[in-house]
Amino acid sequence: MKFLLSLKVLFFSSVVLLGDSLPQSVLTFTERYCHECHAGNENELEGDVRLDMKSIDWGSGESIEIWTTVHEVIKSMDMPPNDAERFPDSGQREEFLKWIEGELTQHSPPGGTLPRRLNRVEYENTIRDLFDYPEFEVPPSFPSDLTRHGFDNVASGLVISPPLLSQYLKIATDIADEFIPQPVELPHVDPNQYRIGATGLNTDEGGGGSLAGEVYRLVSSRNMASAAGWTSSFEVPVSGIYQLQIDARTFQTDSMFYERRKKPFQLKIYARQNGEQKYARFSDLRMIGEIQVPASETTDLSDKLMRVELFQGEVLGIRWADGPVYSDPGRIDLSHDFIDDRLLNDRSFYAAALKLNGGKRGSSQVEFYEAIRSLIESGELDLSNPALKKPPAVYGGGLFNGPHNWSKAYAQEQMHRFGPALDISRISVDGPIHVVTSQKTRNRLARSKKFLGRKPGKTSDMVFAKRFLGEFLSKAFRHPIPEDHLNEYLELVRKHRYDFPERRIEDALHLAIRKALISPQFLFRELGQGKMSHYELATRLSYFLNGTAPDGPLIALAEKGKLWDPIILEKEARRLLSKPERREFVRHFTGQWLGTRTLKDIMPDPRLLKFFNPDREALIEETEMFFEELLVGNYSLEYFIDPGFSYRNKNLNKIYGGELEESKMQRVTFPKGGKQGGLLGMASIMMATANGVDTHPVHRGVWLLENVLGQPTPAPPPDIPAVAPDTSGATTMRQQMMKHQADAACARCHKKIDPLGFVMEQFDPVGRWREYYPIYTEAASTTLKEEFYANQGEGTRLGQRIDASATMQDGTVLNDVRDLKRYLLANMELFTTCLTEKLLIYSTGRGLSFGDHRVVKELVNEVRDSNMGFQDLIVSIVLSESFLTR
Amino acid sequence: MQNYKQGINRRIDRRQFLHGVGVSLALPMLESLNVTKLHAATTNDPVKRIVCIGTYLGFHQEHFFPKQIGKNYEMPHVLEPLTSFRDKFSVFSGLDHRGRNGHEGWQAWMSGSATGSVSMDQLVAEHVGHHTRYASLQLTCGTPPDVARLSFSKEGVALPMIGRPSVLFQTLFRSDSDRSRMEYVLKGNGSLLDELLTETKSIQRKISTNDRRKLDEYLASLRNVEKMLQKQEAWLEIPFPTTDYKLPPFDPVSPGQSLECEKLMYDLMALALTTDSTRVLTFLVPGWSQVFEINGRRLSAGYHGLSHHGNEAKKIADYNLVGREHVSRFGRFLEKLTDAKDANNRPLLDSTAIVYGSGMGDSNTHDNSNLPTLIAGGGFSHGNHWNNDRSAADSRLLGDLLLTLMQRTGMEIDSFAGANHNMNEHLS
Repeated sequence: MKFLLSLKVLFFSSVVLLGDSLPQSVLTFTERYCHECHAGNENELEGDVRLDMKSIDWGSGESIEIWTTVHEVIKSMDMPPNDAERFPDSGQREEFLKWIEGELTQHSPPGGTLPRRLNRVEYENTIRDLFDYPEFEVPPSFPSDLTRHGFDNVASGLVISPPLLSQYLKIATDIADEFIPQPVELPHVDPNQYRIGATGLNTDEGGGGSLAGEVYRLVSSRNMASAAGWTSSFEVPVSGIYQLQIDARTFQTDSMFYERRKKPFQLKIYARQNGEQKYARFSDLRMIGEIQVPASETTDLSDKLMRVELFQGEVLGIRWADGPVYSDPGRIDLSHDFIDDRLLNDRSFYAAALKLNGGKRGSSQVEFYEAIRSLIESGELDLSNPALKKPPAVYGGGLFNGPHNWSKAYAQEQMHRFGPALDISRISVDGPIHVVTSQKTRNRLARSKKFLGRKPGKTSDMVFAKRFLGEFLSKAFRHPIPEDHLNEYLELVRKHRYDFPERRIEDALHLAIRKALISPQFLFRELGQGKMSHYELATRLSYFLNGTAPDGPLIALAEKGKLWDPIILEKEARRLLSKPERREFVRHFTGQWLGTRTLKDIMPDPRLLKFFNPDREALIEETEMFFEELLVGNYSLEYFIDPGFSYRNKNLNKIYGGELEESKMQRVTFPKGGKQGGLLGMASIMMATANGVDTHPVHRGVWLLENVLGQPTPAPPPDIPAVAPDTSGATTMRQQMMKHQADAACARCHKKIDPLGFVMEQFDPVGRWREYYPIYTEAASTTLKEEFYANQGEGTRLGQRIDASATMQDGTVLNDVRDLKRYLLANMELFTTCLTEKLLIYSTGRGLSFGDHRVVKELVNEVRDSNMGFQDLIVSIVLSESFLTR
Repeated sequence: MQNYKQGINRRIDRRQFLHGVGVSLALPMLESLNVTKLHAATTNDPVKRIVCIGTYLGFHQEHFFPKQIGKNYEMPHVLEPLTSFRDKFSVFSGLDHRGRNGHEGWQAWMSGSATGSVSMDQLVAEHVGHHTRYASLQLTCGTPPDVARLSFSKEGVALPMIGRPSVLFQTLFRSDSDRSRMEYVLKGNGSLLDELLTETKSIQRKISTNDRRKLDEYLASLRNVEKMLQKQEAWLEIPFPTTDYKLPPFDPVSPGQSLECEKLMYDLMALALTTDSTRVLTFLVPGWSQVFEINGRRLSAGYHGLSHHGNEAKKIADYNLVGREHVSRFGRFLEKLTDAKDANNRPLLDSTAIVYGSGMGDSNTHDNSNLPTLIAGGGFSHGNHWNNDRSAADSRLLGDLLLTLMQRTGMEIDSFAGANHNMNEHLS
């Protein structure tokens, strides 16, 4: 039997050698539309392309190349040329293209990745690992990468431009400075006396608390930008030890509201580089000291001197750490107690606050407070309202323009007027008593020592350089550096020593590091030709699954020449997926595939949608944790659609509903088959496919086709007016879209797009389930009560009921998103193909070729036949011909 | 001495090598560094310098634009500090890019279209940049938020800005010790690029045509950066200018001090132009939530809050107070450029075209139409208020005005940011 089979194969091959004959329809097409220029006499062939063959030898690379080009020019309608006699109609064209696609998919090899430059993320990670320098970040001005085929790690998008190369050069020099610092001599500086009075203190945001220039009044605060005092007009002139003294006394009136405080007030002093860390939390700043100010207004603190180390360019900041509002102990906020106390004692204020109902959208604390004041002064408030007898049920938060931040403004203003507060009259800085090396220099020296290693006394400079560079460059280039290449670097070192005999060997290494960091071997990967080397394979695998250069074990296997062994390769892929670095893959793959990267640019109206910044982070976290669990647990791909579990915290409660009260994410389960969970119920995706204000069925429909069903739609023709939601609520998007579907040209795609979009309309712009469209009203009409904080958000009322039913192009009737999930589960090859394609693009860094599409088909069959899990799929991709081909 | 000579030889080799591959070297015209000669040689071009100054939070239109059209307009409240310069600037109303609204739309102020296109100053820098040590300088006060950007390179990359007066001072008047270190690093980097050019070509011989093309991008970038370094290196041989100007011992970069920082930046901008350190300056005057104290009074809200004044008279008044502070600082800058004379004893202002305004039209609604726009200097005839009728068939764009300024520098450019009309007739 076996023998017969091989005979058959042999026989078959011999036919292939003669070539496959072309079907009649294809012959007719080429004859009618191509032969005029691409047939006949050898000398008259346009572009040297002949298309009058009767059969094609698909085994030859040349045929593949020619027919790939034919496909391209027919598809782009560049051929037949404008001056041709005849043109195929669209039906003929499509039939012809379909035939070529089929043949090419069957016969052409996978592959075609160009050399890949490290993208921004990969570059950052690689530098961090290479230098063991976790705090490294590219500067904000670093050019961003282009996206191709949906991802920013595709070779064709990773162009290199002069500004980018100058940035690489600048970073290379900065890094070399960090690890091989220039020797620094401490300057001699005579001590001086600096006196910073009340007017020398400032807040970053907000107005500061200088009272008639005499004292700077400090209320208790956690926010270093809006309430702490900074010596913005005093910059430490030189790093050194200084003597610091603060003249402070407590301020407490005999307020009718507040009892005098007996225990000392705690004052904390911080330092930061002038102009930097503006919005840093106090816990992230360098604290240089603290003093206790006794609760008396007459205490003299002149004897409380502190010796502190200050670094050049720093400014000092002070805050009252244990006041009644916004004070230290963790996240427990005492301001509500304080506010309750004040509100219940100050009915006019409370009545005014209720009347204003959180203030106008976009109003600031100061504005709100002023509005309160004028209401109080108007004397028109109803002070008999029974609501004034109990504290508010809910308090607002938010720092700047949030609607409810009156509580903080109020608390601070009250303290400012009546105390308790701290009055600072002067900060004295005397010194330097002696100068010290700056923190920066110290860090550099410590890094350098670790990086260069110890040079044994007897070793000559060149031997040391050879050993150091041999190791460093091999790591930087992700393969052992060949002897001749290393010699070029040693030549550079030698020449430097000759040109600059007065300089150190370290300076020559500084130069060599700079060169390495801008060299093609560092910036590009997969620079070779032919079959990938073990090192290139290690590199491709590692950037795919860990987002950084290969680690020690991977390089060791490459060194032994074992990585092409499929068993070892699989083991390595699974090992990399077990490392914490897999989060790089999770973050950047989901960030682009599912669009979570775009969330930071979407600004939902916090008031209408009850959505704030921490919610955004929670959405992304949910998506990543969910994806990671499917990956690590090797769940079958159905779980992407209907998992029955997800992750939630108190922020996500606001969107999904639920009881959780903590910010920490927790795994939750729910019945399968419902509207919750999976990609089609994921709030991050709903938010990424809306614009923060309203939803659009076309956007979500197109997104689903492209990213879940794997059937991307072409861009709409130009000059099509956009259909925008009618915010008055008179017509729904469905009514508008149906009109639009009546046009046959539009209907071709919109019959596919719109049903999917309609089904998703039950998710609002941040992914919250809804039954009705909202109508946004300008003025909020409710008062501070429970409904005020209900899901819908204030300033909205219910509009038309949402009809989420739709009929798909193939006749499948969908009543809501649950039916769409059922449809996808019944047709899993759609999603499997889509996900496999995305993973293959991401891992190989290329738009898929015809040959790659064949590999995708094989992989999809494999998933179906062997009931593979997600991790298995990734392993199969790694072992596939596509991944293994350059 | 021996070693030094060898260094020179190496450099000559590199030049020959570059000629061999068809790169012409654009070294700065060193003779033009003699300031006297420079001004004498180029008096034919009326404009040699461009300055773009934009306030991030804009101005209150009603108090910025004059009520009357033409020469005899009554000086509007916000522009009052410029009264004595009335004949040195022109006001334009009704101009914009017909672009997107919002804070992000601000970024299009000098480029005209969505972010990612080249801004006008960078086109001018390409034209005049070779004359000076710095082709252009981008300035601001402190560290503005990421979305506040004014200058964009040809690749659409937002250019970093200098926000500390002391850093700008160092850039203009570098000390000798900095210089020798810079020279050493530059020379080293130059030799590295050289070696990499050779090395990359040898890699290219071993790879496929398509791969080779990819590396061509890299080679082109190497050559481009090499030229840039050569320019910097050549300029290092020219001593930095000196000055008696003294900065305070601290940088007023806290947002609350930004008006103070603004003043210092203008002082240094005037010095940058008079020392011919650059001929292209951009200055983004930022705004955060800082609460200013003006004339001894704490304003009723933070600056950003004032810009969203909600048409409340009191807030508009305070918003205008800040606007007037900006404008009066700008007035001082105009004064300095009038006092400074070029080699022909003409005020420097006459050969410096300045566009002053904002990418924010109406800050209250984040509307980016009808952008506040002043043109000063540039040898134009000023004193006029021209209003563009946005609904007219021959309505003009802000791009037309920017195009006019670029043409004034002698650039051969006939369209920019969707605009293609010269507006000289409104500046004469």
